Amino acid sequence: MMFFGLFRRKKKAQSRKEAKDRLDSIVTGRRRSVPVQEVIPAELLKSSETDVVTQIKGYVAQRFKVKEENVKVQFEEHNGYVVIITNVVFH
Amino acid sequence: MAKTYVVTSGKGGVGKTTISATLGAALAAKGDKVCLIDADIGLKNLDLTLGLENRVVHTILDVVNGKVTALEALVRHKQMKNLFLLAASQIATKEMLSPDDMRRIVAELYPKFDFIIVDSPAGIERGFRNAVAAADHALVVTTPELPAITDADRVIGLLENAGMAEDDIRLIINRFKPNMVKRGDMLTKDDIQENLAIELVGIIPDSEDVIVATNTGNPITLNGNQEHMIAHVFSNIALRLKGEMISIDKDLIYGGSRGFREFFKRIFGRN
Repeated sequence: MMFFGLFRRKKKAQSRKEAKDRLDSIVTGRRRSVPVQEVIPAELLKSSETDVVTQIKGYVAQRFKVKEENVKVQFEEHNGYVVIITNVVFH
Repeated sequence: MAKTYVVTSGKGGVGKTTISATLGAALAAKGDKVCLIDADIGLKNLDLTLGLENRVVHTILDVVNGKVTALEALVRHKQMKNLFLLAASQIATKEMLSPDDMRRIVAELYPKFDFIIVDSPAGIERGFRNAVAAADHALVVTTPELPAITDADRVIGLLENAGMAEDDIRLIINRFKPNMVKRGDMLTKDDIQENLAIELVGIIPDSEDVIVATNTGNPITLNGNQEHMIAHVFSNIALRLKGEMISIDKDLIYGGSRGFREFFKRIFGRN
């Protein structure tokens, strides 16, 4: 048995499959930037923060074909700039 | 009127400059008037790859500063009289050039050439934005490795975001090793294409001869190398860019095992 075992070819793991799985998970999970063509005039949104949230929710819901409840909008201040963070739940 | 291509990748070291030079030479060999623009300012290499480093008098920065026109700054290739280079400056930085400068330079060259190929630097910052600014089409170069492919994916997203249509972005897979694919140790062309989802315009098999060509400053499509295996691949890509329908599988013919003819040629061939 030992004799035959000596000549048995060891099956080598193929790295392509692992690379493919990793690539699939990286590429499908990547954030895509979307070109913005419409710019809402600042005057329209000056009055309240709620207006901004409503506008963004409406736009994002339409753009990504999701319900408005699935869009969450947050405001944060970073280095003197207001950063709007929008999260979309697709499923 | 020229077709303007940017050769880009995101990741460095995948072969953008070699591909720009060799593809430029392949197109010029087919009779097209070609202008290569080195947009890799500060780390220029295109002049070196073409063997023109001693002939560069004016650089792209001289054009930006108004010392000379873009046409006056061009260097003509030693052998290919219809292949020109607009060299980058080594002492300058990428910030000294703006996307508007690049648009202005390309606009001046546009009516004089059939093809303008812009060699982009690695990365996705200012240098990339400069290189992309004036291009109508993009050739995204990747190798069959995860870091290069994921960077290429990011670059494709940025190109689309910059307003380039998906049909104008095409893929080149460089340093492909068919034997490793056969063994199951390398991603196949379908794996890569499936994930990047853009049209494949060429597969360049890994070859030591490309390094030799760079060492001598002679693109592999020149100097009697036209019958060389890799030269055929570049010739195929050039023809595809000109609109000819050539099967991608033809590129792989030149990348597999060498065969008896090549084996004997190597043993008995004269140096």
